[in-house]
Amino acid sequence: MLMNKVILGFLIIGIAIIGGTLYYFTRPTKIQIRIAGSTTCLPIIQEAAIQFMSEHPEVSINVEGGGSGHGYASLIDRAIDIAMASRPPKQVEVDQATQNGVELRLHKIAMDAVVIIVNPKVADDYLNLTLEQVAKIFAGNYTKWKEVDSSLPNEDIIVFTREAGSGTRGTFEEHVMETFGLEITADAHEVPSNPQMAISIKNTDYSIGYVGLGFYNEHDHGIVYLAVNDTSPYIPPTKENIYSLEYPIARYLYLVTNGEPEEGSWISRFIAFVLSSEGQQIVEEKGFLSLPSEND
Amino acid sequence: MVENMLKASANPCIKFNMKSTIFIIPIVIVIGVLVYILSLIILGGLKALNLDLLFTSIMYGGIFEAIIGTFLLLVGTSILALPISIATAIYLTEYAPKGGKTVKIIEQSIDNLAGLPSIVVGLFGYEFFVKMLGFGVSLLSGWLTLLIMVIPIVTKATKEAILMVPEEFRKVASALGATKWDIIRDIILPISMPGIASGIILGMARISGETAAILFTACTLTARGIPATPLEPIISLSYYLFVVIFTSPGSAYTKAYALATILMSITVSLYSIAIIVRFHYRKRKRW
Amino acid sequence: MGETDIETIWRRIPQESVAFKQIFFVKEKRVKEDLLIRKIFLFLSTISAALVLLIITFVFLESIPVFTSNLIVNIFQETTWRPAYNSFGILPLIVGSFVVVFIAILIALPIGVGASIYISEFAPKKLRDPLLSVIELLASIPSVIYGFIGLVFLVPFISQLLKLNSGATALTASLILIPMIVPIIISISSEILSSVPKEYREISAALGASKFQTTLKVILPASKSGIFASVILAFGRAIGETIAVLFVCGATGKFPSFPFITESVLTMTSAIAMYMGEAAIGENLYYVLFFIGFSLMLISFIVNNIAERIVEKQREKVGGIRIW
Repeated sequence: MLMNKVILGFLIIGIAIIGGTLYYFTRPTKIQIRIAGSTTCLPIIQEAAIQFMSEHPEVSINVEGGGSGHGYASLIDRAIDIAMASRPPKQVEVDQATQNGVELRLHKIAMDAVVIIVNPKVADDYLNLTLEQVAKIFAGNYTKWKEVDSSLPNEDIIVFTREAGSGTRGTFEEHVMETFGLEITADAHEVPSNPQMAISIKNTDYSIGYVGLGFYNEHDHGIVYLAVNDTSPYIPPTKENIYSLEYPIARYLYLVTNGEPEEGSWISRFIAFVLSSEGQQIVEEKGFLSLPSEND
Repeated sequence: MVENMLKASANPCIKFNMKSTIFIIPIVIVIGVLVYILSLIILGGLKALNLDLLFTSIMYGGIFEAIIGTFLLLVGTSILALPISIATAIYLTEYAPKGGKTVKIIEQSIDNLAGLPSIVVGLFGYEFFVKMLGFGVSLLSGWLTLLIMVIPIVTKATKEAILMVPEEFRKVASALGATKWDIIRDIILPISMPGIASGIILGMARISGETAAILFTACTLTARGIPATPLEPIISLSYYLFVVIFTSPGSAYTKAYALATILMSITVSLYSIAIIVRFHYRKRKRW
Repeated sequence: MGETDIETIWRRIPQESVAFKQIFFVKEKRVKEDLLIRKIFLFLSTISAALVLLIITFVFLESIPVFTSNLIVNIFQETTWRPAYNSFGILPLIVGSFVVVFIAILIALPIGVGASIYISEFAPKKLRDPLLSVIELLASIPSVIYGFIGLVFLVPFISQLLKLNSGATALTASLILIPMIVPIIISISSEILSSVPKEYREISAALGASKFQTTLKVILPASKSGIFASVILAFGRAIGETIAVLFVCGATGKFPSFPFITESVLTMTSAIAMYMGEAAIGENLYYVLFFIGFSLMLISFIVNNIAERIVEKQREKVGGIRIW
């Protein structure tokens, strides 16, 4: 009696497994797009995904953060369809991709700037620094704020940085640290996303860090106006200055695919949506810059 | 008894309770911390929870899919773990030659499985199930990864339950002509059922709060409704809490408190049920 | 007599023989069924063993490239953990993990043993089980929630208390670990303490010792190895904890300097959690992460093994009175 039930149980499990496998191979038409990567792009793409899904109920888009490095790594390992990136790929990543037979195809979706933010105790609304000063601060060459400028408080500088693969970090390193041949100090605290950087700078006294423009909040942070050297003017990261590339750390935000997406495929339709006026409006809403049209 | 005699003698040389009360301090600390943590979460949660939040989709600020996701993870993993764990426990206690090599190897393996740090299990699950086997970040990968953590728990509980069945039962049944399988099916399993049940509940409780193992193997941030196939990712309460804490502006932890309260209620309830079942089970079985 | 092993006898007498059918009154069908079921059980059991083998092999294999390339030099010579600059120093991570766990155990041990003494020696018998269950509750709280509380309440508190600009330190990580490991110490130690034979206490009282003296000088020493086992298990649990520590450790890649308490650290587990998303298969970081994972696995195996042996020896010992 019970014996039959047990055999029945095993049979059911067996059928379930076989059925599941068959189901997997002959899947019904629910389309799935997997996106992962830069936490800078995340708010934009999350909102875009929600709007796209409400217009097209047969598509399911999964979005997650993890940083540009995670995006590239996942795309290279073919675990996702689209990667979000706030920096172009590093040489190592390009090599890895070619090894795996993946072709990294970048699509620009917005403009952004990496802004240096400080805890309000350092400067309540803005602070003028040259690129070299910033590089030295992050390299640990200055340990107290007073050493940077005598008008600043005599407190230890607490440096925050992003994880190794971060696009924001990559852009920052390229434009600031590498220009002066410096490395970010090992004393720096690592945080794995833009929102976390923003919160850490807000909550930690006398701290300094960097985020994408959309994550700077004037109530929570002081912002740095950058000068290329001590004779140039200090440039605030306003939209005009970023579009004109006067602000030294301007950059593009990208969606990355494996090769050119097929004409008419859902992936290409989603990217087109992000590039459309609706998509670009989302970009602006989240505090970033829409792509300049050819006329600018 | 001797203590009572001594107490009764009222000998002034024997000091009883003065120095001993020092030991009540650690207990007070422990219970105090527990109460403090619980109240922090519950108080915050009471302010934050409302039915709306529970049933609105994640896309619009709610936490509905997180609850569903956790539920799917729990149930799926338990169903997969059940046959394997019960069979392993039965084999170890009934079939395998006692003290033989097979028993030692399998038992050692189970114990080692239980001790693995969850992040290492998560790393394995991510690289093996998600990337190499190609299941992608999905419910299935989550099930397989969590399976690794649940099997030792259920196996151990089942083994204990089976060992509590008195040896005489088996001998009597054999003498009456029952085969091994008859004994297992008709005597051992029915008697051990509550023990097995508490094992499964314990397993579910263990993984309900698990984050590290499913961080990269099963979870996503945006999901529309309930996954149609196990090959889609889900979002779980623990993962969502993890992300929300890191991205919430300082004081507005409303969603975080709501998530924490629900998560904690689920975990604590499951553990409590497991404890109660185990307690009743031990009380009743007096042969 | 040993097991009622019908199968052994089944296998020895040929099943077609009359003797067999006479002895066992069973039909052939049932004999075959039984053996088949036995094979099914064996098969399902080997899945468990196979799973363990799979994980161990996989993690080990993926960490081998570290040994065969010059990464091994990098890992042990570099004094910082900065994957961005190809610096994969594992020493800061090891020191970070051990410091955090060591401080946590230092504080959790007296609390745990003290509470166990209360539970097994001084608490009214009826209160024992409920107390233990309540304490188990502390262990059941998910680590994300500990991380939440740590980040929101403990970090600012520590920063105020120690006048630090950032409250995310090794001390904070240790503090958040304590409620997670105290229940382990209590549940095992209280059992060990209770299992010390009644006679010890009676003889001691008869000799004029107070309960306090008895506990300190007789019961505790007798339970020494069991309590040590609980510490080892607590160590294993603490060193494998990821999420709660991740929130509050401060995550710097530098080698922590002496007053470890106020330093921000990075533990082995947090490093894996923070970096596993970025490592594409075949990258240096990928192999290093598996190396760290393998080390953690090794530590947990050793820890569990030692603890098991101690508990077994303790069980053998406590069988009667030993007059020394």
